Amino acid sequence: MAKITIDDVTKRFGESDESIVAVDDVSLDINDGEFVVFVGPSGSGKSTLMRIVAGLETQTEGDVHIGDAVVNQLGPRARDIAMVFQNYALYPNMTVEENMSFGLKMSTEMSDGEIEETVTSAAEMMDIGELLDNKPGELSGGQQQRVALGRAIVRDPNVFLMDEPLSNLDAKLRAEMRTEINRLQNDLDVTTLYVTHDQTEAMTMGDRLVILNYGELQQVGTPLECFYRPSNQFVAGFLGSPSMNFFEGAVEGGTVRADGFDYDLTERMQSSVGSRNEVVLGVRPEDMTLHDRANTSHEFEAVVDVVEPMGSISYVYLKAESQGHEQTFIVETDGQRPISEGDTVYVEIPDEDVHLFDAKSGETIHQRHLGDDAEIALEEQMQPAE
Amino acid sequence: MATQDTAVDSATGSQWIDKDTRETIVTVVRHTILLTWSFIVLFPLYWLASMSLKPPGTANSLPPEWIFLPTVYNYIQLIQDSGFVEAFANSLVMVSASVVLVLLIGVPAAYVLSRYDIPMERDILVWILSSRMLPPIAVVLPFFIIFRELNLFDTRIGMVLMYVSINLSLVVWVMKAFFDGIPETLEEAARVDGATQFQGFTKVVLPAAKPGIFSVAIISFIFAWIELLFGLVLTSFEAVPVTLFVYSFIGSRSIEWGMLAAASTAMIVPVVIFLIAVNKYLAAGLSFGVVIKE
Repeated sequence: MAKITIDDVTKRFGESDESIVAVDDVSLDINDGEFVVFVGPSGSGKSTLMRIVAGLETQTEGDVHIGDAVVNQLGPRARDIAMVFQNYALYPNMTVEENMSFGLKMSTEMSDGEIEETVTSAAEMMDIGELLDNKPGELSGGQQQRVALGRAIVRDPNVFLMDEPLSNLDAKLRAEMRTEINRLQNDLDVTTLYVTHDQTEAMTMGDRLVILNYGELQQVGTPLECFYRPSNQFVAGFLGSPSMNFFEGAVEGGTVRADGFDYDLTERMQSSVGSRNEVVLGVRPEDMTLHDRANTSHEFEAVVDVVEPMGSISYVYLKAESQGHEQTFIVETDGQRPISEGDTVYVEIPDEDVHLFDAKSGETIHQRHLGDDAEIALEEQMQPAE
Repeated sequence: MATQDTAVDSATGSQWIDKDTRETIVTVVRHTILLTWSFIVLFPLYWLASMSLKPPGTANSLPPEWIFLPTVYNYIQLIQDSGFVEAFANSLVMVSASVVLVLLIGVPAAYVLSRYDIPMERDILVWILSSRMLPPIAVVLPFFIIFRELNLFDTRIGMVLMYVSINLSLVVWVMKAFFDGIPETLEEAARVDGATQFQGFTKVVLPAAKPGIFSVAIISFIFAWIELLFGLVLTSFEAVPVTLFVYSFIGSRSIEWGMLAAASTAMIVPVVIFLIAVNKYLAAGLSFGVVIKE
């Protein structure tokens, strides 16, 4: 068990002139027993940051602490960590049992009997007791994944590191293993870092998310906090599927003039906007509603481009036309609603669901409204992180 | 295919070939081709072996005697010839030693070239390969002079070094490709599991590379085993390889066909034994670099 502290860590690859900054001055505290998910698009530096914690890469600047010790100078073998790799990295020439006992043989003084006992109990925990004598090549992807997890838990390490462990599995198995890893982490209560580019995994698995882009920390917080209180436009667009719709517009006397429609700002919004001339208005597809005819001034006309029926809901891709510009956005509607390509509809943006972002920096300047209970619950969640 | 054929059949109104017949014809044609090919490949071997079993004087008679009483006369002659036994043993020792040595040098070199950022890596690889770019006949005399100066002429050590120089570039190139195909995460997993970098190499990477190692080992063995030109120039009495001894049956006035055939057949034996011993690793090894599916 250990807490992890990442202190002003920067990683540059290559020569100083044309170096690539993979991780840019990231600081982070991870509590003992916490499940933290590093999430971001490819090239965001999330894997590099984890590999720095593992000791497989050395940071250019900054310190990494595991427990109370600074581990900058320690190799992976001295850090008491276990790692699960995207391609599982099972030793192909060893049986499952040998794979699982390899770490114990290398890093502990345990007797053969003790090792066998530990491996057997870990194998039972992962439900792979039957496979102990098989070679990895004889196993299915899902079984290999279980062996890789088993190899990690058998070590009883201070920290689990998981680098996109589910991305090679099919969708059904992935959902199953997601639950399994969650259960495992709860049972073992070991500090866990988990890297993924999949925002569903991030939302459903993590106690906290660490959202990265271009090596820079975007936001650290609980999944719901990041979803409802995104600190900037990148986070808002990254979490949620389909992504939040963004409308750029000029602010003219309390009105945002976006392509295709005007949006009247509420008083609260106006005070957040202040003297800015340009803002980005963000609203999630599930928060917008479609009407057959205009009722209020907040609605605007749009034409249906594509309909994606998902069953209980449909995603409607819409185009709002004005002055030759076309702005495409997505609205989620009831799956039973009859709607087809070419229909003209009226789109309503409810005031309480609107986020506003600074057009230049992307920083959030106005957060959506939440129900009172939700607001209190979220604030309570946010406390420990402060 | 099927629908097209049916269409043709119904159009012509005749069903002169039905599906079963067609399949039979395909099977027959396929087997005929394979049998012919096998015959082309195996006949010379049969010819060699049968020649070695013919009594002296009839080995190369025309028309060939297809039916004859086999005799091991040639083989007994061979075994009783201490020169042959000595050369055979000599070759076995020299070639085996050279294979061990070339693996000891080439495999770690390939690993380093595969895993580390070496400056001018491409150039180094081409440089290693360039040692084989000149035809052997062009370098054999320089070899001779160097060997004479270094007192390596007609020594087993000299021959071993010469065999190593023949095979080293092959081992480095093939093994580099093989290591490239073994994901680096394997070693990282080993290091996280508590192994040192060196243990990661010996306990995880090397076993995973076994098919490649056995493949280059057997290829190196064969190349060294059948080498003649350098043996001819670089030895006289002490370090004579078996190829040179076999060559001696081709005299200036006559060729001892029976003995030549028997010695050649005997030369195939170690290669076949080696092949059988490592056969189970070869299937994977010859499809370089795809041992581990990502």
